[in-house]
Amino acid sequence: MIGRPRTLWWRTAGLLAGLCAFLAIWQYGAPAARVPGYILPVPIAIAVRLWQTLPVQIYHLSATAATTLIGLALALVIGVLLALTVVYVEPLRTVILPVLAGFNSIPKLAIAPLFIIWFGLGAESKVVLAFLLGLFPVFVNSVTGLGEIEHDMLDLARLAGGSEFRVFTKVRLVNAVPYLTDALKVAFPLAIAGSVVGEFIGGSRGVGYLILSGQFNLDTPLVFATLVLITAFTTAGIGAVVLFERAVLAWRPSRRGR
Amino acid sequence: MCTIGPLAADGRLEPFVRDTTALSRAVVIKVEALTKVFGASAALGGFSFEVKENEFLTVVGPSGCGKSTTLRLVAGLIPATAGKVYFRGVEVAAPIQDIGMVFQSPVLLPWRNTLRNVLFTAEMAGRRPAEYRRRALELIQLAGLGGFEKSYPHELSGGMQQRTAICRALLLNPALLLMDEPFGALDIMTREKMAFELQRIWSSNRTTVVFVTHSITEAVLLSDRIVAMTPRPGTTKAVVTVDLPRPRDVNTMSDRRFVEIAAAVRENIAAQWVE
Repeated sequence: MIGRPRTLWWRTAGLLAGLCAFLAIWQYGAPAARVPGYILPVPIAIAVRLWQTLPVQIYHLSATAATTLIGLALALVIGVLLALTVVYVEPLRTVILPVLAGFNSIPKLAIAPLFIIWFGLGAESKVVLAFLLGLFPVFVNSVTGLGEIEHDMLDLARLAGGSEFRVFTKVRLVNAVPYLTDALKVAFPLAIAGSVVGEFIGGSRGVGYLILSGQFNLDTPLVFATLVLITAFTTAGIGAVVLFERAVLAWRPSRRGR
Repeated sequence: MCTIGPLAADGRLEPFVRDTTALSRAVVIKVEALTKVFGASAALGGFSFEVKENEFLTVVGPSGCGKSTTLRLVAGLIPATAGKVYFRGVEVAAPIQDIGMVFQSPVLLPWRNTLRNVLFTAEMAGRRPAEYRRRALELIQLAGLGGFEKSYPHELSGGMQQRTAICRALLLNPALLLMDEPFGALDIMTREKMAFELQRIWSSNRTTVVFVTHSITEAVLLSDRIVAMTPRPGTTKAVVTVDLPRPRDVNTMSDRRFVEIAAAVRENIAAQWVE
């Protein structure tokens, strides 16, 4: 039955079996290889720590989630607005594009300490970092999605009397949707990284802070437990984007089974 | 005028009564000494022709002689370097709104199904698509796309996509239909079939057409008149009137008159290669 498409149930079962095998090897292999718990805690130890610290975890994760989502929302709005300027205002294109490209070559995480100085130890500096990391993918994809319309299509619209506003709402914007969802799938983990690095550097809230305190106390299970939660949060975010895509982009030729 | 002749004995419609009033028909497009220069190279060098109401005019010529440029100039999409285009006696200075256009590629919106792609022109014109739904469905039927109203472009063949584009161009019942090598991207079998399809669609209301093609057979099959162009910079080489009765079918292509006209057109284009 090679090549026959498997059902969702079978694929899920296979995935779970693989995961269980991996965790079992980890659980029994690590002690057998005499790896101490503070270097690599076993899965059950991590699960127990996660359970013990759950209220604290949620308190910190909610802070990270908030700064990430606010930063991402800002990246989305400002990235699309910048892309619109580039698409519509020819003279600005030659200014904005090189400036943003140059700006993108600055390692934003390396200058994170500056943002702590400028925006303080509170949520603002984390929002700024999440925003900056999310901005570039959103901007680049928006320029493509909004700008790359076939010339013949624009001529057709003009001949039918279509105003630029109608071309924008009925052609450019719809064309940009798949580019934007793709951008979000990249920008979301980046924005989380931005928030977490901000929390590493200063402040007393967020999963970054929690990981640091785990490190100080050599509480490696706590570090791992927090990582599990961040990963779950990232997966949930990307999953939401994928669900949105399935609902809105149903017209796309299915890529599965080709 | 385009009157239909009496019924023949076998019940078929007689061919259209041709050219009896050709002189009195209104001129839809008048192109006067059109010149277009791109940078240092001239695409058109004083091209002139006229298109009358309900006429199917084809422009043929070698590659790069400015056929597509001519259509863009006629539509008012680009400005001419010199010369003028008149649409119903008025000089064209901006894109004409009463025009349908079909390009070599169908340029359909991939997220819209056939019906909504056809309705696109109405939406761009700022009209309520609901009012054009019936006409769109009629055109889709006429083009042989019945049953594919809800299909997306990627589910249609190249020929079906191009027929969708033709329906879209005809939706607002334009005074003029411009077709820029509309079958150029199709395989040879589909291409021939599409020429007959187009003739059938066109016969339903005889929109004035300016059609651009490389194919002499296609030109003779579809046109009332053919303008043969010189190589770049393009001008008029010859105008050939096609006095074959309509509707024309596969048998027309082996008709002696058809062969003669095709030869005349070919000669006009071929003569230029020797020069």
